[in-house]
Amino acid sequence: MNAIFFSILAIFSLFVFMNLGKIKASKKQMDRNDRIKWGNRRRKSFFKNRSTIIEGKAEEVKDDTEK
Amino acid sequence: MSKHSALNTFGRSGNPAFTRNFDKTSAIPQSERMTLDGAVNKTAILLSICFGGAFIGWNMPALAMPGLIIGTILAFVTIFRNPAKAGTTAPFYAGFEGIALGGITVFAEAQYPGIGIQAIGLTFGILASLLFCYKSGIIKPTENFRLMIFSATMGIAILYIVSFIMSFFGSGIGFIHSNGMFGIGFSLFVVGIAALNLVLDFDFIEEGAEQGLPKYMEWYGAFSLMVTLVWLYIEILRLLMKLRSR
Repeated sequence: MNAIFFSILAIFSLFVFMNLGKIKASKKQMDRNDRIKWGNRRRKSFFKNRSTIIEGKAEEVKDDTEK
Repeated sequence: MSKHSALNTFGRSGNPAFTRNFDKTSAIPQSERMTLDGAVNKTAILLSICFGGAFIGWNMPALAMPGLIIGTILAFVTIFRNPAKAGTTAPFYAGFEGIALGGITVFAEAQYPGIGIQAIGLTFGILASLLFCYKSGIIKPTENFRLMIFSATMGIAILYIVSFIMSFFGSGIGFIHSNGMFGIGFSLFVVGIAALNLVLDFDFIEEGAEQGLPKYMEWYGAFSLMVTLVWLYIEILRLLMKLRSR
């Protein structure tokens, strides 16, 4: 009885996996902002923290000011 | 921006196979891209090979240890050397792990008859129920979720390695193998973490198919699912043995 129950459970679960696995996940799962980003964001995030823009008013640099 | 400064500095994924392959997918033709169908079919192929190996291991239990060692080496080769060759290495991995699992199950069955089919039923039961929870959006894996599961998995791995090394000196971490409340609680925790690793595998396959990764990543996705299933099966078997020995 024990063996029959667990055999049926295994076969039914495999059947579910084979069919459900091929269906796309629900919108609730896919359309989220907090999904795992599996790609490489190393360089992007690294450079994001090192901005090259200097804030403030621009000043003209004159080479002959000290001459 | 994440609250975790380490994530901001070093990026989201440390797995070289994942990070390498998610770049530059636009140049791949449609027919050469990863699909959900392909990943599921390849998982079915690996499972069939694993069952074939288990049949051999069941009849020749002495091959369990060599099978486990060769399977582990193949897993490391697939993960760290060349994921693009997963189509070649993953079937061999499944075969050797199958031999190992067959042998381990024979030893467990000799002590506790009927335990093997219970472990198989529970493993696939967890696989199907978690897949349903993932597809329907009941479980939503996030970066924090991944960080948590990854940390817990690494913690368990380190604990097992330390216990293995200590066993050479005649000692060990007792509670891991005990059948007391603490030992069973630990096994339940490990089964939980192994099961939640399946969710990460589902998300990787789903995202890979959506992004149109190269076709060989179907094998890699199926391989990662197999690695988790093998681990889950062993942990469920250990848990059932602890429960039956009380």
